[in-house]
Amino acid sequence: MPVPTEVASSVTPEPEPPRKRQRTLYEASTQYKNWRFSKQQLSSIRTSLNEAAVAAIRDTFEADSPGSSSDVSFLNADEERLLVKFYASKIPQLCGACGFPEEVEATAVSYLKRFYLKNTVMDWHPKNVMLTALFLATKTANQPIPIDAYVSRIPKTSPSDILDLEFLVAQSLGFEFTVWHPHRALWGVWLDIQSLPDHPKEDIEEVYKTAKTHVRASRLTDAELIYTPSQIALAAFSLASPNLASLWAHSKDSSNVLQVIEPLKQMILQDSHPPDVEAVRDVDRRLKLCKNPEKVIGSKAYLARKAQEEKTAAEKRAKKAEEIRKAMEENDPFGEHIADEKKLDEAVNEALEDDD
Amino acid sequence: MATKTNIGGWLRGTTVRKGGSNSNPRSTAGTPVVQSTSTTIFGGGVKDPSGRVSEFSVHRLFTLGPAPCPICQKTLRKLAFTPQTFEDLQVEKEVAIRRRIAKEFNKRREDFPDLRSYNDYLEEVEDITFNLINGTEIERTEERIAELRRASAQLTSANAARELEYAASLQAAEEAEKLARQQRALQAQKEEEEEREERERERMKVIELLERSEMSEEQVKKEVERWRREREKKRLAEQRRQQQAAKTLRNRAAAQSQMLPDTPHVPLQDDYYAWQDKYTMLPTYIDPSHGAVMQDREGIMRAGGYRIEEAWERAIRSAVAGLDVMPIDDEEDQWNGTLGEGVTVEGAGNVVAASA
Repeated sequence: MPVPTEVASSVTPEPEPPRKRQRTLYEASTQYKNWRFSKQQLSSIRTSLNEAAVAAIRDTFEADSPGSSSDVSFLNADEERLLVKFYASKIPQLCGACGFPEEVEATAVSYLKRFYLKNTVMDWHPKNVMLTALFLATKTANQPIPIDAYVSRIPKTSPSDILDLEFLVAQSLGFEFTVWHPHRALWGVWLDIQSLPDHPKEDIEEVYKTAKTHVRASRLTDAELIYTPSQIALAAFSLASPNLASLWAHSKDSSNVLQVIEPLKQMILQDSHPPDVEAVRDVDRRLKLCKNPEKVIGSKAYLARKAQEEKTAAEKRAKKAEEIRKAMEENDPFGEHIADEKKLDEAVNEALEDDD
Repeated sequence: MATKTNIGGWLRGTTVRKGGSNSNPRSTAGTPVVQSTSTTIFGGGVKDPSGRVSEFSVHRLFTLGPAPCPICQKTLRKLAFTPQTFEDLQVEKEVAIRRRIAKEFNKRREDFPDLRSYNDYLEEVEDITFNLINGTEIERTEERIAELRRASAQLTSANAARELEYAASLQAAEEAEKLARQQRALQAQKEEEEEREERERERMKVIELLERSEMSEEQVKKEVERWRREREKKRLAEQRRQQQAAKTLRNRAAAQSQMLPDTPHVPLQDDYYAWQDKYTMLPTYIDPSHGAVMQDREGIMRAGGYRIEEAWERAIRSAVAGLDVMPIDDEEDQWNGTLGEGVTVEGAGNVVAASA
């Protein structure tokens, strides 16, 4: 989160351009360090995750009843992405119903996307993860509501559905909860345009509104995982009013950014539509069959896994108890030390007696 | 309290009952029966564990001189009777013996060349004590005591003297502190009184001056002011003198105690670039989305020190944050961004464009 280093009436007389080797505040954030990928990297991460998950689930099926996994059609990476996108599009509706501000909504969408870069849909269904991500977002964006109030607004959920996943979501995010959002950058662009010497005073509000819708649309794409929030904001603004955007970019000496955001603009226009409900329903139906049985509470595989874990834990405990018992009984509880001293004593006495 | 044999029960005091009369035929109705409390029960030099004697009886029996004990015929003196502090007579006896031994055998660890000999000495002493308490080998034990006493007469007396000194010094310190406290209290009192007197004197002076009525009210006031200032100066001088004295005292003490040098604290200084040169703040902006805040500047919107200017600055900073951070380009080497002109590549391979 950008820390306001100085108030408007700043102490330093003349702000300086960056020196070489001086890092920017954005570069110090975890969003820059850990959650920034290229398009290629994103797709490779998703496919490898998907393949690993399919292999694991296949094994579980095989262990349960050999041969059953051959006719199960697992999801592929694109279908997973579709499902995630669908549930991400549900978040704004939920936020509107509960009255959460835009920050919460944006944070929740980010969390959902990041979670599914580390986990697969077949292990954890997005419905519950979406609710958990939203609950977590209310907390990290400083708009917390009690779990009971939250659950009462959402039909057919109980607190444990959400709270069970909360730690998992946090862990998958690497406990990095701060997300930099484009809508604040967009507001900043709008304010800063007013400081341009020759800005047109009319219609800026309309432009701003349009740009805002573009930013909202961009949340359904992978934009925030590839570009920085200010670039997304500039792209949205540019879609709304290319002239103003280029004017502003020029004034910031960053006209090369305009080229960078061209593909981003395409992405916002093309990728940001919520997926077709029919397709999603289809995927969901198939998901029911290829879900990872280990994660379903009450299934055989789950119980087997639990038993396995119990066994290892019990073994560890037994080993430790054994160690302690040995120390107490077979050795002197105070250690070998004193026993040796006694022997030394006897030896000394003997030597003295023999002395003549 | 009936015992098995009540021979000598009058001596032992076992026939003393609360509120009852002695069954002892010798005691007349006039003799008051003492209530048996711990302060009145005496443990005497009797071997019998329940050998308690009441103070009255002791007085009665031994005023005329030493008399033989009816059981063991040992002569007892009144002086030998001591008040009992412990419920259990055994404990009382042991404590008495240990007290006597401790007076005689008071060598310390420093008096011995090594730990072994010290422990041997302690064991010897404990041996003697044990024998005395349980009445075994009394003669031999007494011999040993005499021997040891002879062997270390000087050391014993030296140790005894040292302990006395220590106790005396403790007391002296306590007294000194008490004295200091008293002094301070006196001082405070004196100061208070002085203040009161001064005020009195001032008033008197004012009255005097007015009475003289040669000067006008103004002049009187000025006089009083001048007078007050003089006194202030005197008081300050006095204070300063005292402080100086205290300081020199402290310095002397500090020099003696050799305080360690205090290394100056270097605060954490991070050196981030915050894009201050990329924007200039206007005093106000057109911001319809925050109309309520701008109208109610000094009211409820000011809670928690919120200032809309800070929010604007933060927004504008987000707008320029990371504007020049190029997305990861797959075609080139994975960690290199596209290089523009006059840019430096930072550690993570991402570029901050210097001012072009």
